[in-house]
Amino acid sequence: MVLYAFYMFDRHTECIYSRRWTPPSQAASSKNARPQSGSSTTSNGDAPPVRRPMSQSDDEKLIFGLVFSLRNMVQKLGGEDDTFLSYRTAEYKLHYYETPTRMKFVMLTDTKQNNLRPYLHQIWANLYVEYVVKNPLAPVEHPAGIGVANEMFERGLEAFITAVLPP
Amino acid sequence: MVVFALFVISKAGGLIYNREFHSGLSKLTSNDYLMLAGSFHGMHAITKQLCPAPSLPAHPSSNAAVLAPSPFSNRATGIEVLESSHFRIQCFQTLTGTKFLLFTEPQQPNIDSMIRKIYELYADFVMKNPFYTVEMPIRCEKFDRALDGFVKVRS
Repeated sequence: MVLYAFYMFDRHTECIYSRRWTPPSQAASSKNARPQSGSSTTSNGDAPPVRRPMSQSDDEKLIFGLVFSLRNMVQKLGGEDDTFLSYRTAEYKLHYYETPTRMKFVMLTDTKQNNLRPYLHQIWANLYVEYVVKNPLAPVEHPAGIGVANEMFERGLEAFITAVLPP
Repeated sequence: MVVFALFVISKAGGLIYNREFHSGLSKLTSNDYLMLAGSFHGMHAITKQLCPAPSLPAHPSSNAAVLAPSPFSNRATGIEVLESSHFRIQCFQTLTGTKFLLFTEPQQPNIDSMIRKIYELYADFVMKNPFYTVEMPIRCEKFDRALDGFVKVRS
């Protein structure tokens, strides 16, 4: 079981917490080293051969935009009570959970993982609510992630992940 | 076993075929379907870029190394399966960039083989049709009938 990344977005579309377990530069450099012959024949959205590596905040924005559009697409097709759960590519799987307050939890894992929605729900209920919402010193909103990454939350997340998703 | 719909998206992101087999998805206008296909095309490209895993080196032991190197071997793929609580989308992208989207029930087995069979039907009845222009909407009666036969037999 491999865990790649975990993101939390608030209802103002801002990323208030992110954590990666892989070095971001590695993925970017391997993409630049990709042979160009494959992308010359088709125009199916391949990146141009030379591209600067994406920064972490670019990644966050891209992921937010992606899950937001996927969620809208799913609701359009399946009706208002339909919810987007996850998607899988050949390389990774993205799990999604949205709270009634429109907070979004996103987790990227390897492809063999079953749906992690219950775990994301537990992270929200047992860690975020306990250590961030109930923290009297944390602000109500978290612009730029202020107040989220406190010690208790970090430690709780670490313990939770090693407990339920053993490497 | 329920198959809701089939979309075919051209390599430029246009919806070239849209067929509903079973009601279950919301009714949308044809304009909405075009928009959905276009945005899916974009999201597919983004998911390809987001790949967090370091690319795996080609297996030296497998006989793939003996053959000519494929330009497609270490290319990241975009969305393959999307799951929601009411349905599931299987996406199959051909090497030329055409995408087949199959909308099914969440617990549907063997969609992989099914979508490949549909690709075969597409190759037989659309690509081999001398009156079909590539990248244009598919209006081939034989393709429609073959799809009907294939999907109905399985449901």
